Amino acid sequence: MDVSLFVTCLVDQFWPEVGTAASLVLRRAGCIVHFDARQTCCGQPAFNAGYRDEARAVARALLEIYGTRSDPIVVPSGSCGAMLRHLPELFRDDPGAFPRARSIAKRTHELGAFLVRILGVEDLGASFAGRVAWHDSCHARRWLGIEEEPRRLIARVAGAELVELPDREACCGFGGTFAVKHPEISVAMLDAKLAGLRAAGVDAVAGSDVSCLMQIGGRLARERSPIRVLHLAELLAGDGAAAAPGGPR
Amino acid sequence: MAAPSEARDEIMGRVRAALARVPIGPALPWELGAEARSPAPPGPPLDLDGKIARFRAMLERAGGHLHFAGSPEETTNAVREIANAAGARRILHSEDHRVLLRAAALEGEFTWVPHDEERAELLTCELGLTAAQWGVAETGTIVLESAAEHHRLASLLPPVHIALLDAPGLLETLDELLAAVGSEDPDDMSRTITMITGPSRTADIELTLVVGVHGPRELHVILLRGAGNPLA
Amino acid sequence: MTASGPPASFAARARAALGDDRLRQALGKATALFAARRRTALAEVPDWEELRQRAARIKREALNGLHHYLEQFAANAETAGAEIHWARDAAEACAIVSSIARRIGARHLVKAKSMTTEEIGLNAALERDGRLPVETDLGEWIIQLAGEPPSHIIVPAIHKSRADVAALFAAELGIPPTDDVAELTRAARVALRQRFAAAELGISGVNFAVAETGSILILENEGNARMATTLPRVHVAIVGIEKIVPRFEHLAVFLRLLPRSGTGQHLTTYQSILTGPSAIVGDEGPEELHIVLLDNGRTAMLASDETRPALACIRCGACLNACPVYREIGGHAYGSTYPGPIGAVITPLLAGLERGGDLAFASSLCGACREVCPVDIDLPGLLIELRSRVVEGRRRGELAGGRAAAFERRAIATWAWAMASPRRYRLLSRLARALPGPWRRGGRPGRLAARLIPALRAWGAARDLRPLAPRTFRDLWREDEG
Repeated sequence: MDVSLFVTCLVDQFWPEVGTAASLVLRRAGCIVHFDARQTCCGQPAFNAGYRDEARAVARALLEIYGTRSDPIVVPSGSCGAMLRHLPELFRDDPGAFPRARSIAKRTHELGAFLVRILGVEDLGASFAGRVAWHDSCHARRWLGIEEEPRRLIARVAGAELVELPDREACCGFGGTFAVKHPEISVAMLDAKLAGLRAAGVDAVAGSDVSCLMQIGGRLARERSPIRVLHLAELLAGDGAAAAPGGPR
Repeated sequence: MAAPSEARDEIMGRVRAALARVPIGPALPWELGAEARSPAPPGPPLDLDGKIARFRAMLERAGGHLHFAGSPEETTNAVREIANAAGARRILHSEDHRVLLRAAALEGEFTWVPHDEERAELLTCELGLTAAQWGVAETGTIVLESAAEHHRLASLLPPVHIALLDAPGLLETLDELLAAVGSEDPDDMSRTITMITGPSRTADIELTLVVGVHGPRELHVILLRGAGNPLA
Repeated sequence: MTASGPPASFAARARAALGDDRLRQALGKATALFAARRRTALAEVPDWEELRQRAARIKREALNGLHHYLEQFAANAETAGAEIHWARDAAEACAIVSSIARRIGARHLVKAKSMTTEEIGLNAALERDGRLPVETDLGEWIIQLAGEPPSHIIVPAIHKSRADVAALFAAELGIPPTDDVAELTRAARVALRQRFAAAELGISGVNFAVAETGSILILENEGNARMATTLPRVHVAIVGIEKIVPRFEHLAVFLRLLPRSGTGQHLTTYQSILTGPSAIVGDEGPEELHIVLLDNGRTAMLASDETRPALACIRCGACLNACPVYREIGGHAYGSTYPGPIGAVITPLLAGLERGGDLAFASSLCGACREVCPVDIDLPGLLIELRSRVVEGRRRGELAGGRAAAFERRAIATWAWAMASPRRYRLLSRLARALPGPWRRGGRPGRLAARLIPALRAWGAARDLRPLAPRTFRDLWREDEG
């Protein structure tokens, strides 16, 4: 199956390993991965901050790239995936753009959901020795209804022991510009989440969104915590030797 | 009809203007039909035993007590026992005929204070006795209607409340209750319909539950089931 | 609309709340308890989602047909003997209540818990007239004695310890201090009974108003609303126009949803369904029932398709208990009658973007509120809509934003300009890697960088920065694919 990989701007700039891992995993699952180098960003940061025109300007570029294709668009991010699903709403007053926006929305899938629901693949031949907590990102869980899928995938990672966090649906506190507009609240929410994480005694925390992982990883790094931070794609790509939380490589 | 007012005209004008572009719905624009009613509870309708079991479970969960009586004597005895256990001497009562029968039967044993006594008198009563016109098994609720008896103070002021409920008045669902007490003709409805589920409560101080705040701290329902008219 | 907090900004009030350990502990306990009880209560209702959708439909119908239902309610309530008053704003509503109190010569007034009466600042207005009403809900009375606003919709005095309450009661009632909560409650019962007995006027809000019958429904646990609407000769009920539901039978849906959503109870202890003043047919209870229908910004919310759904709120409190922001900062930080997610939406809409606009940004948009809302209000969507109105307002010069807002606008504009073109994006990408700075180093931003770029300082206070990857994914792909 041909798929288009939309890596997201955060992955491209801060965590390219996720993109590499995602394309590796998709290939292992039998896909031919296309990457259009013209892609930039889905526009969500502007949209969530109330800048609709700017969000449209940025997202318009995606309509050009993906709007008339027909292959699935796979995104290693719940929040960007949710944003792409929201494009028809963003362009509802633009009859020229609307059909392409709708086409994109219908073909967009978050990575884990794509593997399990569309490809029916759960075993990627991965391995990871240790206890892994799964962080449900808010957009993945509440907007895209993704909860089962990453857990099924992790269950097939040899050696990985999935640990459920108490209060697992609690937000990590990132929320886009919220993280810097209201940093104290953001960190208070983060620490509430991390209390559960620390108490769970895990080797790593994994998630579907690098935005959440940068928030969590940033705090863990500041505390010199040994807990590693992994994206789902990295966990499934298999050797478990992912980057240290937040710090330089 | 109240005199037309500037404020009314302005508010209604704004409401109409606000909704001017809202499309009118299908056929009957202002009627929501069966879809708006609550979905029926799963399973077939409960029989009386089923209703009683459910009513008891929900009433007790809310902190109320259920007693059974199968005859007029049993009803009177139950009232006496509960009142004695509560150490009540003065009983505030409604004018429902079943309540008045107990007032007569227990005349010498307690002081019976009718609902239309002086306010100061009412506040000294330790127990209130009323009937309940309906029960709702779904929620363990008793329902008192002002058209049937003056219940508001007798079921609220004293710290202990006993309500006499006839088994045929026990309904299964809230929907049935509202159908029973509601009416399209406002003149047909009781002015006050009071739904009571257990004793009064609060957790306002440190989330610590305290039973018995402004309303009663004890609620007893005497359910009458049996042959004939046992509450009579 | 009256703001109940001190005049500092939301950010300042939130910071203060975060520093109050006792408050945070109390909030954490309350919200966790209610949220857990809600989950248990829901598990018992097999068709919860369907019930929720019905409620949403009923509210949508009520709001879309409000011109019909509002008049129907008023007509039926009047037929039953109630007197209907119309109040365009808070001042008018307070004036109506004051004039009723004056006419009947009421010296003693009692009040059941009502957010609507707080919204219009009723107590302050009556106090100016020399007629302060006594709050009779235990939690509301406690904070009235303390002179503080509520910190939670359901348990307004949750921030007060039993020792605090004992001290308040000792001062007010002359009783010896005790830390027995049951004893404190008994003391309140005795004291408030005297007020109920003496009161000529009882004031309440209303949970639902039924158009079909002209009835009002009040839910409660303590019994104080029953007392306040039975003992005094006159009862005044303040009703926001959005409280209307079309038919009597609709109440069953909301009775199943509201208590479970708010506290996890399957039903609150008392429901009072009142249709007209009871004494005029010889019943106990008030001789006069006055219903004040309140606009105060609701018609403006009604007028916009985007904001109309926010009027469906049944004030259950579930969104507060679910909100991770509210859990950390509590109600006072919102500086408004209505806190939490629903407060962040309706405060700017009722009080104006100028006063309430910053509340729209007091959220990480996690969506927990929408998930628990029994009438399925899209709260995150509404917050984004409000944010875009604030941004537009600032752009047009209608809203003051200050330097920070202007800086943000320029930053986003620049960012969007770069992101909209692959060529500019690549250029910016290379530029950022050429400039030395914390974005390349990672870790803690240095003092100079933090001073120049507020976002860096905000992030870096408690979190390390993840550095830009030396090579982007695009670079890696190009190398791999050749």
